[in-house]
Amino acid sequence: MGLRVAIVGYGQTRFEWDAEKTREEMVFEAARKALEDAGIDREDVCTVISASTDFLDGRTISNCMLIGATGAYLKDESKAEEDGMLAALYALERLLSGTHEIALVTAHTVSWTFNPHQVSVYMLDPLFDRQNRYLYDISIAAIQAKLYMNRYDVSEEQIGMVSVKNFRNAAMNPFAYMKLPDITLDEILNSKVYAEPIRELTMAPVCDGACSVVLATEEKVREITDNPVWIEGVGNCADVYIRDRDLSRLNSLQVAARKAYKMAGVTDPYREIDVVELTERFAHQELMAYEALGLCREGKAKNLIEAGLTEIYGDIPVNPSGGAMAGDAICATGLLRLIEAAKQIRGEAGRYQIDGAEKAVAHAQWGLAAQKNVVFVLGGEV
Amino acid sequence: MLIINRNGGIVSGIVRYEGAPFVARFGWYAGELMEKFVKSLAEKKLLATRCPKCGYTIVPPRIRCVKCYTKLGEENLVELSGKGKLLSYTVVHTIPDGKGGFTDLDKPVLLGAIKLDEADSTIFAVLGEVEPEKLVEGLEVQVVWREETKGELADIAYFKPVG
Repeated sequence: MGLRVAIVGYGQTRFEWDAEKTREEMVFEAARKALEDAGIDREDVCTVISASTDFLDGRTISNCMLIGATGAYLKDESKAEEDGMLAALYALERLLSGTHEIALVTAHTVSWTFNPHQVSVYMLDPLFDRQNRYLYDISIAAIQAKLYMNRYDVSEEQIGMVSVKNFRNAAMNPFAYMKLPDITLDEILNSKVYAEPIRELTMAPVCDGACSVVLATEEKVREITDNPVWIEGVGNCADVYIRDRDLSRLNSLQVAARKAYKMAGVTDPYREIDVVELTERFAHQELMAYEALGLCREGKAKNLIEAGLTEIYGDIPVNPSGGAMAGDAICATGLLRLIEAAKQIRGEAGRYQIDGAEKAVAHAQWGLAAQKNVVFVLGGEV
Repeated sequence: MLIINRNGGIVSGIVRYEGAPFVARFGWYAGELMEKFVKSLAEKKLLATRCPKCGYTIVPPRIRCVKCYTKLGEENLVELSGKGKLLSYTVVHTIPDGKGGFTDLDKPVLLGAIKLDEADSTIFAVLGEVEPEKLVEGLEVQVVWREETKGELADIAYFKPVG
């Protein structure tokens, strides 16, 4: 990238269940925190990009009421109808185009408006797959998990270890919704089954929340902060519909990661990356992501989790914040990974801070069985 | 013009709703080849399209090859044997209830990802006449038709192990 862009501020609401806040309040809180964190005002912002979905919001043009909350009135404004990390990518592209200097990105979801798992049915091909009432995001993820488990001889216990790690990490995160500091593998493996092997505690708990980041181009960065988090690389890749896809691999994540690494000059992710924040909508997807992100060879993710290498004290900590297991506020979940990765580089992650984190990877996914994947590589001041 | 409705019902033309209160009743034009697919179910036939250029065979049929974008037509329809291999499966215990919550099924349902023998794409279908313990990757399965086939998607009752 010729022009450089950095994260200069972030903010989030506490992730919770049945939040007694309007969506606008929630987004306003996150956006204002991000602007305060950056030390800038609404007037300084050139472009505002939000992420939400009409289905989950229960209204079309779900950003129409956010124009006030994000301070976007009479400004350049647009929306990504997917994860907030896509909104961040959109904002990044606007800044790199040279027409804007400071962007505000927000994402929110209120899960209780309509069960996100019900909404997943609307991602299915309406003519054939949607007519099958047993097919929805959880049962499709279950089919994916079985494929992956069979291919590489992965056990339910190894998948459960991801949940244990992330729920325990979440207990140290003041903004997390699901904090289970004393959770045991036994409890995970005995939680309610939705579609085998997916259980209540091997899927990310849906919740309500909003988060926001401020991005700026290099010249502005220098005016705003001494502690910028540079976007060193980015990759975005979508795969085909579930019918024509090899569900046992996250091929689109692999492509996205390779693009991001190439741009950032990362050749050996296991050694060069200090911390990873990824979107494990289901626990097995974290293992699949280790492989797609190049942290280990194919089929070896189970060894990483078993050896504790992805724990906070491990060689390559993954989801020290708790990841999506800490609370899945759908559209905000991926953008929050970007914030958590930036926090680590700024040394602001509190009890789950990775000492000396200088390079971080953040990942977001969207769609059935992680159809679409986005990867950001972040780095500190050099 | 075949329209498949949200609730699985089929009508032969667009039904327009007028006036208030507005009710969102989704319907989708199935397309010529999908119409053939659905109607052929009445004769217990499973149709797919095979791309003349790259050979990719997709079921249900499409009018464009998903791999090489070659235009496909009626002449590219092939009849499948109805047999295939189980790629993966799950035992579904709970499904969305359509109102924002979940329903626990009285009896868990076996759901399979199946690669039909002459096809390349995957179809997802209910499995029957088999215990979950018997399910393994690679298991040979075949389609079971409902007693009276009417040219509806529900004509495919389920898939069961061969033999």
